[in-house]
Amino acid sequence: MTPDSMNHVFEALAHPVRRKILDVVKDRPGCSVHEVCDFFEISRIAVMKHLRVLARAELIVSRKEGRTRELYFNAVPIQMIHERWTTDYSALWASGLTRIKYRIESMQPRSGTKRQAEKTTEAPAPLQRKRRA
Amino acid sequence: MPESEPKSQETERAVFKIFIRGTIDAVWREITKTDEVLSCFFNMWLDTTGLKPGAPLRMRTKSRKYTGAVGEVIEFEPPHRYSHTFRFTQFDDPPCRVTYELKPVEGGVEFTMILDDLPKGTKTAKQMTQGGTMIVNTLKAIVETGRPSFGVRFLYNVVFPLTEPFSPKSTRSENWPL
Repeated sequence: MTPDSMNHVFEALAHPVRRKILDVVKDRPGCSVHEVCDFFEISRIAVMKHLRVLARAELIVSRKEGRTRELYFNAVPIQMIHERWTTDYSALWASGLTRIKYRIESMQPRSGTKRQAEKTTEAPAPLQRKRRA
Repeated sequence: MPESEPKSQETERAVFKIFIRGTIDAVWREITKTDEVLSCFFNMWLDTTGLKPGAPLRMRTKSRKYTGAVGEVIEFEPPHRYSHTFRFTQFDDPPCRVTYELKPVEGGVEFTMILDDLPKGTKTAKQMTQGGTMIVNTLKAIVETGRPSFGVRFLYNVVFPLTEPFSPKSTRSENWPL
């Protein structure tokens, strides 16, 4: 990965909407721009702009199938960030630690603790499709 | 889903894309060579009667005693496009399709691996999507540095020789002739 392309990846990941777009596309391989827009209150044009930033970082790969454009999440740049800062040994321990973290967090009571409130602003799970007008 | 359900399996697609600093011929060779093990594909031999549409493929372990996957060439257009069917010998899942696209760009090659017809929710789908990132990353490392990363080398040189004898009997190569 060139220094430039890594800049693109970090720039792309720096925006909460773009991170959420990645969650949406990861869960729906091959979805359309239209489907992605359903999850956001912002305009289609704004979503397209975010998608362009994600595509430049290669976090999203779009492929043309006939008349439609399909979007796919590409995990490779994320893996490269991971490899850059984790040696093979530290990765083993770090993944053990993150597993423990997720396990402990999943055991915590679900009702409105402060931590929980913070988490929901960006947790990937509770994505809800915006109801169509 | 009841077991009697006919094979109306839902399928999905996954895409992996990476930029590789190297020549298109070097990348092409790493995914198609038959005179050395393919270090980017789990250090397996690619056995085939000749890479052309319709030809059978067998992915065999380094010792050639076991066959991990089988398939058939669909498209073969050096050095830009290559596509084949793929099925793990140890799972009873329908075959999926793997396509490699190589595009020369400034300073290197844009490599895309597309997995099609992945039978949703199966072991095949899981292994293929997990393996995909490792394959493209290892391919990049080999072309750019001459060898896979330390972790992958450890897997090939230490873990695989230890675990190979425990492969299921059904995957023995005599069951999967060309």
